[in-house]
Amino acid sequence: MAEEFNIDGMLDMFLFESGQLLEKLEGIILEKQDAECFDDADINEIFRIMHTIKGSSGILMYDNIMRTSHKLEDVFYYLRESQPDNVPHLELVENVLKVSDFINGEMDKIKNGGDADGDEGELIKVLDEFLNRIKGEIKDQGIRLPKENKHEEPSQFYIVPVASEGSHFYRITIHYRNDTQMSNIRAYSATYALKEVAEDLLYTPDDIISNEESSDVILAEGFHMLLQTKSLKDEVLGLIDCSEAEHIDFEEISSEEFGSGLVTMGRIESPVAIDLGEEDAGVREEKPHPVPGDYVVKTKETGKGKTLAKHQSKQQSMISVNVSKMDALMDLIGEIVIAEAVVLQNPDLNVPGLDLTNFQKASAQLAKVTTELQEVIMSMRMMPLTNTFQKMRRIVFDVSRKLGKDIELEVIGEDTEVDKNIIEHISDPLMHLVRNSVDHGIEENADDRIALGKPAKGKIILEAKNEGGKVYVSVKDDGKGLSKEKLYDKALANGLIENKSMSEFTDKEIYRFITLPGFSTKEEVTEYSGRGVGMDVVVKNIQSIGGRLDIDSEEGYGSEMTLAIPLTLAIINGIVVQVGNSSFVLETASIKEFVRIGEDSIIQEPGGEEYIVLRGECYPFIRLGQRYEFENCQTKVEDGVVVVLEHEGSQICVLIDSLMQEQEIVVKPIPSYVKKVRGISGCTQLGDGSIALILDIASLIEEEERR
Amino acid sequence: MKILLAEDDFASRKFMDKYLSQYGECDVTVDGEEAIDAFMMALEDGEPYDLICLDVMMPVLDGYQVLKAIRDIEMQKGISKEQRAGVIMTTALNDERNVKMAFELGCEAYSGKPVDLEKFDKVLQKLGLI
Amino acid sequence: MAEEIKEEQTEEVDSPKREFMTFQTGREYFGINISYVNEIIQMQPITALPEVKDYIKGLINLRGKIIPVIDVRTRFKMKPIEYTDRTCIIVINVKSTVIGLIVEKIAEVNTILDEDIVPPPTLGHKEHEHNKYVYGLARTDGAVKLLLDPEKLIMEEDMELLEEIQEEE
Repeated sequence: MAEEFNIDGMLDMFLFESGQLLEKLEGIILEKQDAECFDDADINEIFRIMHTIKGSSGILMYDNIMRTSHKLEDVFYYLRESQPDNVPHLELVENVLKVSDFINGEMDKIKNGGDADGDEGELIKVLDEFLNRIKGEIKDQGIRLPKENKHEEPSQFYIVPVASEGSHFYRITIHYRNDTQMSNIRAYSATYALKEVAEDLLYTPDDIISNEESSDVILAEGFHMLLQTKSLKDEVLGLIDCSEAEHIDFEEISSEEFGSGLVTMGRIESPVAIDLGEEDAGVREEKPHPVPGDYVVKTKETGKGKTLAKHQSKQQSMISVNVSKMDALMDLIGEIVIAEAVVLQNPDLNVPGLDLTNFQKASAQLAKVTTELQEVIMSMRMMPLTNTFQKMRRIVFDVSRKLGKDIELEVIGEDTEVDKNIIEHISDPLMHLVRNSVDHGIEENADDRIALGKPAKGKIILEAKNEGGKVYVSVKDDGKGLSKEKLYDKALANGLIENKSMSEFTDKEIYRFITLPGFSTKEEVTEYSGRGVGMDVVVKNIQSIGGRLDIDSEEGYGSEMTLAIPLTLAIINGIVVQVGNSSFVLETASIKEFVRIGEDSIIQEPGGEEYIVLRGECYPFIRLGQRYEFENCQTKVEDGVVVVLEHEGSQICVLIDSLMQEQEIVVKPIPSYVKKVRGISGCTQLGDGSIALILDIASLIEEEERR
Repeated sequence: MKILLAEDDFASRKFMDKYLSQYGECDVTVDGEEAIDAFMMALEDGEPYDLICLDVMMPVLDGYQVLKAIRDIEMQKGISKEQRAGVIMTTALNDERNVKMAFELGCEAYSGKPVDLEKFDKVLQKLGLI
Repeated sequence: MAEEIKEEQTEEVDSPKREFMTFQTGREYFGINISYVNEIIQMQPITALPEVKDYIKGLINLRGKIIPVIDVRTRFKMKPIEYTDRTCIIVINVKSTVIGLIVEKIAEVNTILDEDIVPPPTLGHKEHEHNKYVYGLARTDGAVKLLLDPEKLIMEEDMELLEEIQEEE
């Protein structure tokens, strides 16, 4: 959204700062929700936050935001000055959250190009009533009321420009018919017409009015214009008088091309980048503070853009970068890793007797640098889970209050860092798990808890930790736990499992029933969980980023859901293997061993399923080539290689034709047009330019187990 | 009321002139120097401007310089804060720092371009000009 | 390439005619509005994808971008034919989805007047599957060309995908 439409610099700053302040506010509130009251530091901080928001929203004339924050500031003013006892703490917490929600809602409207038009009346009434009660309380306690909180109306205002679409940049060339009279005047009237919509207009030849000979140039070379405007192509074309034009070249160009002027037309012009308002919104540069006199415009010359008399020097020490640029950099580094493989594995190097000593040295250096480069970009993308966990606090608070359950949330390891992409992917699943715990996990009736010897107050522990290249995020509650019998009955009733007896399943397998599509243990869908989205979607989301969900539970004493997710998505270590004419990638971490065995180690079941017995252990066996119906692949076990793959403690054997090499693999998604392919998690480009498919071992095993 | 508009871009000038004229007599200048001259002239004639709208990017002197000069002159002449002219900057330069600088220099309002006339009206009301 | 096309269109902005890239597969001629066409490339080694619809032939590597290619004949449920050295891939871009169409042979770029385009018959057409993607028939130089609507070609996929998701939920 924000990319489509250009948010004003000042407005952007307001939204950014206020957003941060509100986040901080929620942090304080939720941390202290169970405390008796706020301490002095909190009250001061909340007062300050509201004061700041009040001030800046006043300047920008968002009156409803100003009034609500003002009112809340008042409340905290009295709390600060008089420090009354017996403040209804929970009510206060709720009121603060209401204000925070209101302001956030209004800011969302502003962000999306709307106006902050929400009605604050109701909220103000609530706050007023609350404030009066506190004031009464203060009087009752015999403390003198402090002076009224003096509120100064802002005396300076900022008018946010009307929302408009971003500018377009066009290159327009008018070719007039050869017999056109006074083409220079026609050209001028074209520029004149365009000035109506132009934010900036450059043209060449630029002496069309003063130099009559320019008409010859125009006839010979055409009349070139660069136009910056908010208008669309048709609108612009409509303004140009085409009666004498032979044809008009019209092309949309980038702002960079526009900035480089008319160079590409064979004339070198170098307009200084001027319009600072149009500066790339993604990069907030730390340039020296402006001073009066910086923006004097040199007398405008015809045909050229406005030029500032004073050259702007741009010094910067810190920049914040648009996420899309980071992603672009990430992609480029991926390309470098591929390019590196192309060079180092180049078939031209396979000439016998070639002395590669120096080449090897140089390539080792290259490999080192690319690895470092990867590490740097990865570290730039790592973000702590703090914000995600913050949201969970809010959910626990909201849902538990609505359901009337008394629940305490403990958060551990919120500073664990994860790749930005992954954070986006786990936020929703995690929210779902937390909601589930509050809604279904913790008992509705505190007496049920006490009867089992548990404290009346329910407890949910949200924990993140980083172990062995993976991040584990777990949601643990001390509620009812899962009932194996009920899960089994339900799965059976819904036809999700064949008529196998319960003893055929391990505990974990039974718990995993809840992740099957079409399974929901709650009869009715409640407001907070199961909004048509079940655990199967959670699992799907997690699997799409190469993670998994572990479920553990003890009936009567709670359950624990653990998400195990990779640290990063983009680059993995893999072994490239050949099956038929296709190449596959197996993630190195999941390969246990390679074995060569004979046909006699294979057991075939009547149903056609095959197993391999290795050192007394029995593994499911898949012939990859046959499974995917490839041609020209090895069918005999003796001629191929059997790979033992492991994922989450389950093993599977896969027959491939041959091993190629081990290398770093840049994971690219399968184009969305093709949709999801079972057993394939992505693809990659190999050193020779061909494409290899990345085998999704988790889903392969899962499918095998489901049979 | 008496209004001074300093704007070098013809289209913006026409637009603002038309809009402001409904509230009073509107003088128009095309660069910063002229704007200060006009301001001085009005002071000398004893009919100072109530509202001054300044573009930032202008020839000769930019809007910030004009604003500073106006506030300096007013201070020198002993014109109080309550009596001085209301100044509204109008510009596409809406970087937070530019806005802050203008506020520090003593403008009453800062409007991004394209100007939101509804809000502009609101500001004029808040400033007690209409 | 795309830019030139735009320019020409501008020039003739008022004329009721359009330009089509026409290609032949089997005996049929097809046309696709040239504004969708990114480029035409020679046949490339295709990496087959397992367990996908038969007309999705696999993936190709287009200068570092991995794009899917589909066989137009199979797509329209016609009998597949062998690829030859004249077989090529038309890379089209429909609403930012880039895919390659494998066609037997590129014919030429034709300018077709709007008035020469007739809607396809809706009833009694023996191969009525065509109609989903064919929005018009054009008669030029004595041959009938089936004009494809690439957006439908892509959209259809989206619809199926959507249905699938709904089913899963």
